[in-house]
Amino acid sequence: MEWVVLESYLLAACVGGIVAAFATAWFYRGKLGAVVNARQSDELARQVLAKELDAAHERVEQADSEHAELESMLADLRAQAGQYAQDRDALQASLDEANTRHAEWLQHATEIAEEAARLKTLSVTFERWHEQMISLMSQNRDMHKKNQELSAIVQHVLIVSLNASIEAARAGSAGRGFSIVASEVRSLASRSQDLSKSYRESLHRNDLTTAATFQDIQAGGKMITATLGGVEVLATRFQSRLEQAAA
Amino acid sequence: MITDQARHSIAEIFCHAARARLPATAGDSCEITAVPRWDDQHPAAPHAMVLTISSIAFRLLFVLHFNKDDATRAYYVGGDTTRSLSETLMEFANLCCGYMNQQLVNYFPDLGMSTPYELNSACVGYLDELHPAHVWAYELLIGGTARLGVTLCLCAQAPLDFRADLSTADESEGELELF
Repeated sequence: MEWVVLESYLLAACVGGIVAAFATAWFYRGKLGAVVNARQSDELARQVLAKELDAAHERVEQADSEHAELESMLADLRAQAGQYAQDRDALQASLDEANTRHAEWLQHATEIAEEAARLKTLSVTFERWHEQMISLMSQNRDMHKKNQELSAIVQHVLIVSLNASIEAARAGSAGRGFSIVASEVRSLASRSQDLSKSYRESLHRNDLTTAATFQDIQAGGKMITATLGGVEVLATRFQSRLEQAAA
Repeated sequence: MITDQARHSIAEIFCHAARARLPATAGDSCEITAVPRWDDQHPAAPHAMVLTISSIAFRLLFVLHFNKDDATRAYYVGGDTTRSLSETLMEFANLCCGYMNQQLVNYFPDLGMSTPYELNSACVGYLDELHPAHVWAYELLIGGTARLGVTLCLCAQAPLDFRADLSTADESEGELELF
């Protein structure tokens, strides 16, 4: 009986020891887990910090790169600005030169327009020549009339001389001398008639060449005046465009 | 000095001008007959109206021959007592020559035309004095009653060549007989 009780005690003690052992183990096990968790958290935090550090380094490198790029761009821009300044100076010089040439052209265009306008007054000269032709032709007409009158007189002289010859023939031997004179007068009148005809032809020839020449001068004058009018219009238009461009 | 096509072109321009400008009333007939020269068989009417078209290298004399007879007077002057036949035909000659000038200016930009002047047709016998490159002579019957003549005399200082491109609008108004 006593062994049984002892055994029961021993068994209880053993069980109690086992339970205590398990309790202890359970306790340490929980504590160990907490440590492990703490370590894992530290590791994770360390990794996060490392990543952030890496990212920070990358950002610094990127910033450095961008800074270098901006410096390069700034240098380029400064170089371009310098070039632009040179170009601007060159353009300004060209513009000044162009303005000078423009002013010269404008002056030339003005002079051409004024000269063309002045030369158009040549029409007055052509009209004066035309009036001289009218005067010459009037004189020719007067000579035609005088020649016709001369021709009529010569014709009359021919008839008179013929009558004189008839009368001389009637007078017989007494009129022989008078007949010779009448014949001579008829011969002179005949030559005068030929001369009058030749003179009339010369007057016609003169009429044609005079009229043709002076008409050519008159028509040529109109041609020149019209051409100068065209030059004046072109010069005035050119002058106007130059003035508009300068404004 | 003057090419065949230039000669034909001037003749064609004249025919258009005559049909367009010489009839006193629009629509009147204008019969044009080319004659080789003025002679006893084809005598030029005694009175002449002369005009000149001048260019840089040539000049063209336009001579309108006319009679101061009843038929011509009746056709062109009619009952108008304020104007003489010479004045009336001076205007028609001016219109006809002006038409030619308008056509020629298409090919020769520098042209001028004189005012008309009346001469005796006997003067035309001395055209050789002007050393012409070519002379044309035409007989015209206007409105079936008025007989006119035209002499064209071209004097050129340089070779002349052009081809007239005329509208055929008035082509049917008359027939041209060429010798």
